[in-house]
Amino acid sequence: MRVGDIACGRSGDKASTLDLTLVAQDEASYRLLESTVTVERAQAEISRAMPGTVRRYALPDLLALKFVIDDALPGGVYASLHAGMHWQKAAAYVLLEMDVEEPKH
Amino acid sequence: MDTSSSESVRRIGGGAGFAGDRIDPAVALAGSDAIDAVVLECLAERTLVPGLRARRQNPDAGSDPRLRRRLLPLLPAAHKTGCRIISNLGAANPAAAARQIARLADEVGAPGMRVAGVVGDDVVRHADAIAWEEPIQGTLLGAHAYLGTEGLIAAISEGADVVVTGRVADSALFAAELMPFLDGTDDAFANAVMIGHLLECSGQVTGGNFEAPGGGSLDGASYARLGYPIARVERDGSAVIHILDGAPGRVDRLTCTLQLLYEIHDPSAYITPDAIVDFSKVRIEELGNNRVRVSGARKVGRPEKLKVSGFVERPGTHADVEMSYAGTGALTRARHAAEALRIRLEYFAEDAIRIDIVGVDSVLSGASLPSNASPPEVRIHVSAFCRDEEEAQSIEDEMYTLSICGPAGGGSMRSERRPRVTVIDGLIDRSLVETTVVWG
Repeated sequence: MRVGDIACGRSGDKASTLDLTLVAQDEASYRLLESTVTVERAQAEISRAMPGTVRRYALPDLLALKFVIDDALPGGVYASLHAGMHWQKAAAYVLLEMDVEEPKH
Repeated sequence: MDTSSSESVRRIGGGAGFAGDRIDPAVALAGSDAIDAVVLECLAERTLVPGLRARRQNPDAGSDPRLRRRLLPLLPAAHKTGCRIISNLGAANPAAAARQIARLADEVGAPGMRVAGVVGDDVVRHADAIAWEEPIQGTLLGAHAYLGTEGLIAAISEGADVVVTGRVADSALFAAELMPFLDGTDDAFANAVMIGHLLECSGQVTGGNFEAPGGGSLDGASYARLGYPIARVERDGSAVIHILDGAPGRVDRLTCTLQLLYEIHDPSAYITPDAIVDFSKVRIEELGNNRVRVSGARKVGRPEKLKVSGFVERPGTHADVEMSYAGTGALTRARHAAEALRIRLEYFAEDAIRIDIVGVDSVLSGASLPSNASPPEVRIHVSAFCRDEEEAQSIEDEMYTLSICGPAGGGSMRSERRPRVTVIDGLIDRSLVETTVVWG
C-alpha cells in the first residue's frame, strides 16, 4: 500500500527549506503513518531526491505529519538547476510513494 | 442551513495566491456581496526580484506588472459593493502602485476611492545591521523585511478602500482587516492569523493542488472554474471557511489541514511579525456542503526581530537547455546524449551543472516510482551556472551539435537564460523598520 492510499500530501518551501505535509484520511491511518513514516525512513527516501536533514513533527490532533528539510533547496528555488521553476512542488510524492503495511484486522 | 451567518462579524475572501493567479475569481468575490474585503496575495521571492530590477532602471517602476490587468475589472466590482481591496501587489514599489491604482480608479469610473500605500519593508540601507544567515556572495539587489499588521491597520482606520503594500507577512494582510472586529484577546488574533494563512494561497484551500487519499480529485472543468475561499469570522476569531454557492471546489478537513500546515516550519510555533502562533491544537470541523469551521489557534509569543529576505545577484548567467528524443528507444538515445554531454561539459564543477532526462529523473532524481517502461518520448535537460553569456552559448551549441553527431532524432530544442539570484534570510531589529502610510 502507498502512503498516498491513506493520506494526502503537499510540498512547500521558504528560501532553502523544504516542507512536506501528510494528512491521514482517518485516525487508524494516522497511527499507521505515525509509527511507520519515521524520521529515519523519511530521511532515507528524501536523500534519494535532494540534500538536507529531515525534522518531523507529529500532530495527532490534526491527524497530520509535518516534515521540514533544512538546506534541501540551496540558494532558494531561483537558484535551482532543476528543469523549470518550482520542481519541489512535486516533492511530497517522495513520501506519498512510500510503502506502508496494511493495518492488521 | 449554515447558521453561522448571523454570528459572523466580518467576511473576507482570498482573491489571489500569487502574482500570476487568475483575475476572475477575485472579481467574482468582490462583486458578490458575500464579503466585506478581498485580499490578493501577489508577492513571492521570485516576483520581488524582477520588481527590484525594474525599479533600478526607473524609480517609478517595480510594482506588480499585472497590476493594471488585475485591477481594471476588480476596482468597479469592489466600488459597487463597497468591498475593500488589500494586496501586496506593490511589490518593490508600493507608493508608486498606490498612485497608479488611484489613477485607474478614476479611469474605470470609480472616483473617490481612497488608495493607501504601506511602505517601510525596504531595509536595504540597513544591510550592515542585518544578521544574515550566510555571507553575501555577490551584489545585494534588495533587502525586504516582512512587515506585520501595524501599517495596514493604520491605513484601514484612516478609511482606505484599497491598501497596497510590498513585503508583508501574507497572513497579516488578512489579520489586519479582521482586527477591529475581534474581541481583543491574543487568541482571537491568533485565529485571525490562522484564517489569513488558510486563505492566502487562494485555491489551495478549496481543492486546488490537492489529491485525496487513493487518488480522487476534481475534474478539469472544476479546476477551470475553481471557487476561491471565503471566511466568515466571529468575534473570537473562529470562522467558517467556504466557497461561493455554485462554485466548484472542495472544502473539508483534508484540504483545510493541508493548507493550515503549508509552508510553516514548527506547527506549534508559526512565526509571523505580530505573533508566534501554535496551530497544533486547531480544530477543523466539517459542517457539510463545502463548509468547515476552524478554531483553536493560540498566541504563544511575539518574535523579537523581523525576518528579512535578501536578494543577491551573482555574477554570470544561468543557462537552461532541452532537447527531445521520440520513438522506439528514445530513452536509450537520450541516455547516450546525456553521457556525451557530460564528457563534453566536464570542465564544469560538479555542483554547477545538472544533466537529466525529463520524463524519467528530472524532478525527483529518480526517487519516485522506479520504472523500466520505455517512454514514447523524453527530453534531455541541462542547466548550469555559467561565468558569462559565452559559456552559456557553448552549452546550447554542445546540445545542438548532438542533433548531427549524437543519437538519432534529437530535436525540438529550447534554450533560455536567466540571471543568477540567490535568496538569503536575515533578521533585523524592529526599531530599524519604520512603517508609514502614503496616499495615492
